[in-house]
Amino acid sequence: MKMLGKLKTGEKAVIKDISNVNYLVRRRLLDLGITEGTEICLKCKMPFGGPYMLECGGRCVGIRRCDANDIKVERK
Amino acid sequence: MDIALLGNPNTGKTSLFNNLTGSYEYVGNWSGVTVEKKIGVLKNNKAKLIDLPGVYSLNPLSSDEGVVTRFLLANEFDKLLNIIDASQLERNLHLTLQLIEFGKPLNIALNMIDVAEKRGIHIDVDKLSACLGVPVTPIIARSGKGCDHLAQLATEKEEAPENPYLVDYGEEIDKSVRELEGMLGGQGQHSVRWLAIQLLEGNRYVKKYLLDYVSEDKLDSFIEKTKNAVLSAHSEFKSLEQFIYKKRQAAIAGIVGEAVVKKEDKGIPLTDRIDRVVTNKWLGIPIFLLFMYLMFMLTFDWLGFPLSDWLDAFISGPVSSGLEKALLLLGAGEFIRALVLDGIVAGVGGVLVFVPQIFILFFFISLLEDSGYMARVAMVMDRLMEGVGLNGKAFIPMVIGFGCNVPGIMAARTIETPRERLLTILLTPLMSCSARLPVYALFVGAFFLHHKALIVLSIYVLGIVIALLLAKLFSNTLLKGETSLFVIELPPYRVPQLKSLAKSTWEKGKGFIKKAGTFIFAGSVIIWLLGYFGPGGIDVPMNESYLAMIGGIFAPLLEPLGFGNWQSGAALLTGILAKEAVISTMNIIYFVPDEASLQGLLAGAFSPLAAYSFMVFILLYIPCLATVATIKKETSSYKWTLFACGYAIVIAYLLSFLIYQGGKLLGLG
Repeated sequence: MKMLGKLKTGEKAVIKDISNVNYLVRRRLLDLGITEGTEICLKCKMPFGGPYMLECGGRCVGIRRCDANDIKVERK
Repeated sequence: MDIALLGNPNTGKTSLFNNLTGSYEYVGNWSGVTVEKKIGVLKNNKAKLIDLPGVYSLNPLSSDEGVVTRFLLANEFDKLLNIIDASQLERNLHLTLQLIEFGKPLNIALNMIDVAEKRGIHIDVDKLSACLGVPVTPIIARSGKGCDHLAQLATEKEEAPENPYLVDYGEEIDKSVRELEGMLGGQGQHSVRWLAIQLLEGNRYVKKYLLDYVSEDKLDSFIEKTKNAVLSAHSEFKSLEQFIYKKRQAAIAGIVGEAVVKKEDKGIPLTDRIDRVVTNKWLGIPIFLLFMYLMFMLTFDWLGFPLSDWLDAFISGPVSSGLEKALLLLGAGEFIRALVLDGIVAGVGGVLVFVPQIFILFFFISLLEDSGYMARVAMVMDRLMEGVGLNGKAFIPMVIGFGCNVPGIMAARTIETPRERLLTILLTPLMSCSARLPVYALFVGAFFLHHKALIVLSIYVLGIVIALLLAKLFSNTLLKGETSLFVIELPPYRVPQLKSLAKSTWEKGKGFIKKAGTFIFAGSVIIWLLGYFGPGGIDVPMNESYLAMIGGIFAPLLEPLGFGNWQSGAALLTGILAKEAVISTMNIIYFVPDEASLQGLLAGAFSPLAAYSFMVFILLYIPCLATVATIKKETSSYKWTLFACGYAIVIAYLLSFLIYQGGKLLGLG
C-alpha cells in the first residue's frame, strides 16, 4: 500500500482507500468514475507542487497534489 | 411538446442541441458551457428542446448543476433526452439510471460511437436498449450523423421507461421508500422512489422540495434511521451515498456485460501525444503564453490593424461622403446633417472600425474553448491560482472575460466552492474585455506605433497581475476560510471544425455589432446633442457646451493622472455605460472624420505617458453597466456589487497615479 502521490509517472495502480480526501473532492472524483477499486495511471506531475494528471478508463483528470497524497493505492 | 436535453459534461450535448435545432448555441469543449438553460425549436418544428447544464449526477455539487435538479423538480416538460458518451458508457449510465428512476418518458442518444469504436469498444445498441427499457439511437453529434432519426424518434413515441426499477437497492431501502410514501400520503407529483433515493444520497434540492410536505425533523430522523439500517446490514460501507453508488455500479456492470464487447486498445491516441507537449511539466506555461502572444500579434498587429485601417478609410471616405450627398439630396437641414455626420457616423463608425480586431480575438477564444485546450490551461494554471487562494478553474472565466466580462462572470458558476466563486466574480471584470480593445487600439496607434501588440499585451497582463494580487489580498482578509478545491476533467482534444468555429465567433461578436447599432447609436446622439447645446444656445463651440461642463467637473480630479481635461472626463463618464462609448465620445468631441485624424489630435492632447496612464485607467476603473447587472444577479448582493465597483475605481486611480507621477519622476513624461 502506498500513496498515489508517491507513484512515478507512467505507473499504474488500483485505488484502495479514498476516505481521507475532502468530501467535495471525493464526490467529484466519484462523478468521474474514480473511487475504491478503480485502476488509474499517473500521467504527469506539474512542476512547483502543481496538480497531477491521472488517466482512468481513457479519460484524463487533474487533481491536486495534496489530494493525491491522501489517496491510498496498490501498485499493479 | 417540450423535451429536456441532459447529459454528462463533455459529451457533445451542445453540439447535439445545435444539430437538432438548427439554431446555434455556444459550444465549448470544457465543462460548464451551458450555465443557464437554453431553448431551441427542433428542425421538424414538432417540439421545443431545452438544453440544460451538463451534470454527472442529479445530486448537485456546484450551482450550475443545481439548475438541472431544480428544473426536474419544478418545471413542466413531456420528455427527457439523455445524451451518453459511448466511450465512457459506465460513467455516463449513473445519470441515465437516475433519470430512468425519475420515471418520465426518456430517449437516449448514444454519442461518439466513432470514438468508442476507435478505442475498441463495440456497443450492441439493441441490447443496450433492451437492458435499459428505453429507445437508444446511435449518433455522431459533431457530424450530425443519426440526428435526424433521433429527432423523429424523440417526437414520435412518448412512453415511460419499461422498468424504472433497474437497480435493486436492497430491502432496507425498499422499506424506507414505502415509509416515505406513507409520510407523503399522495402529496407531490414525483416518483416517491426517486425522491427517496435522491434524499438518502444527500440531494439538498430534493430535501428542500420535500420540506413542503414533511417537517425537517421527520426527514432527518427518516434519513438517520435508514442510514443505520443499511449500514448495520452492510458493514463494508461507510455512507449511504457510497452504498447507493455501488448498487448502481453493480447494475451498470450487468448492463455493460450484456451490451458491450471490448476489443484490444490500439496505439496511443492523438490526445495523449498532444498532452505530452502542452501539459508538459516545463513547457505548459510557456506554450500558453506563446499562444496568447500570437493571438495579440494577430489581433493588434499582423492582421487586425491593417483590416481596421481599411475599414476606417471606407467609413470615413465612401460611406460618409455618400451619406452627405444623400442627405443633401433629401434636402436635410444643417442640424440634421451635422447630427448624422458628426454625431452618428463619428460615434457609431468609430466603434464599428474595430469589428475586425474584435472578431479575431473572439476567434481565438472560440478556438481555445472548442479544441479542449481550455481545461489544460486551468490545469497548468492551478498551482499559481492556488497560491492566491483560488483554483485553476477560476482561470477559465477570466479567459472568457477577455471576450466579454458578462459570460465570464456567468462561467464562474462551475466553481464548486462559494468563496472561490465569489472571488472569481469580483475579479473577472479586471480582465480586459473586447469593448476596451478599441480604446487601446486607438491609443497605441497614436502613441506607440512601433510596439503596438507589446503595449496592449502589457495592459492585459497588468489586468491579470492585479487580479491575482487582489485575489491574494481578498482571500487573506475579506474572504477567509473554506478550503480550496480542484478536480478537473480533461476532455480529449478535438480538431475544431471550421463551421462551428465561425459560428461561435459570430455569436460572440454579433453582440458587439448589435450594441453599436443600439446603445452606441443612442449614446452618440445624446453626446452630440450635449456637445451641440450649451448655456449660450445652440451650435456653441464645443468648449462651451454642456458636455464640456459635465466633463469639466471631473477634470481636476484626473489632473494628477495626466489627463485632466474635460474631454477625458466626459469620455470616462460615458464609458461606464459601455467601454467602447469612450471611443464614440472622443470621436464626437474632437470632431474628426476618421481614426487617423483623431490620433493626430490626441497626440496634441496627451503625452505618451499620459496615454498609457489613461489606458490603465480604462482597464480598471469600473465594470460596465451590463457587467454590474450580472454581478448583482450572480452574487444577489448589493454589498458585493458595490464592492466590485468601489475597489475597481480605487485601484484604477492609485495605479494610474503611480504610473503617471512615477513616470514623470523617471523623466518619461
